[in-house]
Amino acid sequence: MTLQQQIRANRLKSTIVVFGFVLLLLLVAGLIGFVFDLSLGVVALAGAAVYGIFALVRSRSMVARLTGAQEVAPDAVRPLRRLVENVSIAAGLPVTPEVRIVDDAAPNAYAAGLRPEKSYIGVTTGLLATMPQRELEAVLAHEVAHIRNRDTYLMTMALVFAGVIALIADIGFRSIAYGGRNRGGGVLVLVVALVGFLLAPYAALLLRLSLSRRREFLADAGAAEMLNDPEAMALALRRLERDSTTVKYAEASTAHLWVESPTDRVDSQRSGVLALSSLFNTHPAIGARISALEDAGGFGLPEQLPFDEPFGIEHQLV
Amino acid sequence: MLWLWILIGVLAVVALFAVVGYNRLVRLRNEVDTGWANIDVQLQRRADLIPNLVETVRAYAAHERGVFEQVTRARTALQQAGTPGTAAEANEGLTVAIGRLFAVAEAYPDLKASENFLQLQEDLTDTEDKISAARRYYNTTVMRFNTGVQSFPWLLVASPLGFDAREFFSARGDTAVPQVSFGTDAT
Repeated sequence: MTLQQQIRANRLKSTIVVFGFVLLLLLVAGLIGFVFDLSLGVVALAGAAVYGIFALVRSRSMVARLTGAQEVAPDAVRPLRRLVENVSIAAGLPVTPEVRIVDDAAPNAYAAGLRPEKSYIGVTTGLLATMPQRELEAVLAHEVAHIRNRDTYLMTMALVFAGVIALIADIGFRSIAYGGRNRGGGVLVLVVALVGFLLAPYAALLLRLSLSRRREFLADAGAAEMLNDPEAMALALRRLERDSTTVKYAEASTAHLWVESPTDRVDSQRSGVLALSSLFNTHPAIGARISALEDAGGFGLPEQLPFDEPFGIEHQLV
Repeated sequence: MLWLWILIGVLAVVALFAVVGYNRLVRLRNEVDTGWANIDVQLQRRADLIPNLVETVRAYAAHERGVFEQVTRARTALQQAGTPGTAAEANEGLTVAIGRLFAVAEAYPDLKASENFLQLQEDLTDTEDKISAARRYYNTTVMRFNTGVQSFPWLLVASPLGFDAREFFSARGDTAVPQVSFGTDAT
């Protein structure tokens, strides 16, 4: 597939997944409305909306705190800032995102913020100390692609959706378990409702994770297109894969943000034994991401990574 | 009666497609315009750096008039370029001229060490990087827009509606990789 086709295919799949989220939410709320009272279902939906909006508004500062990203003056990281400017221009972003530094030896990066104008890119000091310019640019382009594709927005939404669904399903489950008001219907209805409430959060989780994996492929393709250099992105991923340090601030709640998953390295390694576990990864296996780039760009990565000087060392940033 | 409804239905579907398609072309055209504005800003920035650069070099090498004239001419050509194609040509011309200027500067160690010169050199490199980034974006938007305009059925009506295919930002015989100007180390 060409990059354009990949981007289109990924967009379509993302739309389907978001649609699935809305459907799931309506289903759970509908189930509550059916088993108990219609108005209760409506109240649940309204409550979900309020909680969702609050979570969305708070998300930007929350992410910065959870990942330990520090604001830095643009002049202090001028060369890095320039790279971000360049990839933003290549992406056609109206505003260059701010750069924040995460003091962490593991090479990784993420993008956050609901709107492109208010977004920032978090970069670990480890990334600056490992990546040569060409590959660092690819990683930054990957993050800028997330911002341009509104992934940061979509993934925050997905997180909120998943949280809300889990919350409502939990309430529904408890209400039945502790014998709430039952509007008739037989035992069968109750059992169906119980199973529904039990499974809904897992369905939401799977949806969220599959969405996250889609967006990673999409951002890889976008970065390759922006720089006109799919090999740079593939090289960067290979370098991330070979590096074995992991992010200190790794948490399940923010794992989906990073360019390389900080938590599921172990999972992807045992995927041969337990193939199902890959369903619970936030990121596709790096190997699959590299092959997608190789297919699109028609090249094969050399076994040996280039020995160029890391960008952060070259420009004395770390 | 049934036929009338079918006719209305078909017309409604056609109208819907027309509206969606038209809006898409408008959006694509706006993207091209934004892309061009991005290049224009950087070209302007590059042109603005030139007088300062020429003055700085002149302070050390006043007799190298030929080079100064070439650079100034190339800058004027860039500022007068009206279309993406001519602008790309003029930009190439300026790259060649600046390359010559830097080659001249090689012979003056004091100039090469001057703070001002180093800063200008860095700014120029940065602007060149940004021009090439803006160009990648612009050319992508042009390609999307042109594909939209040239595909059926828009091909038939695009031109009367004011959607004319746009020009790429590329000089003649240009490749994706910018050419390095004759043997000078411009960095």
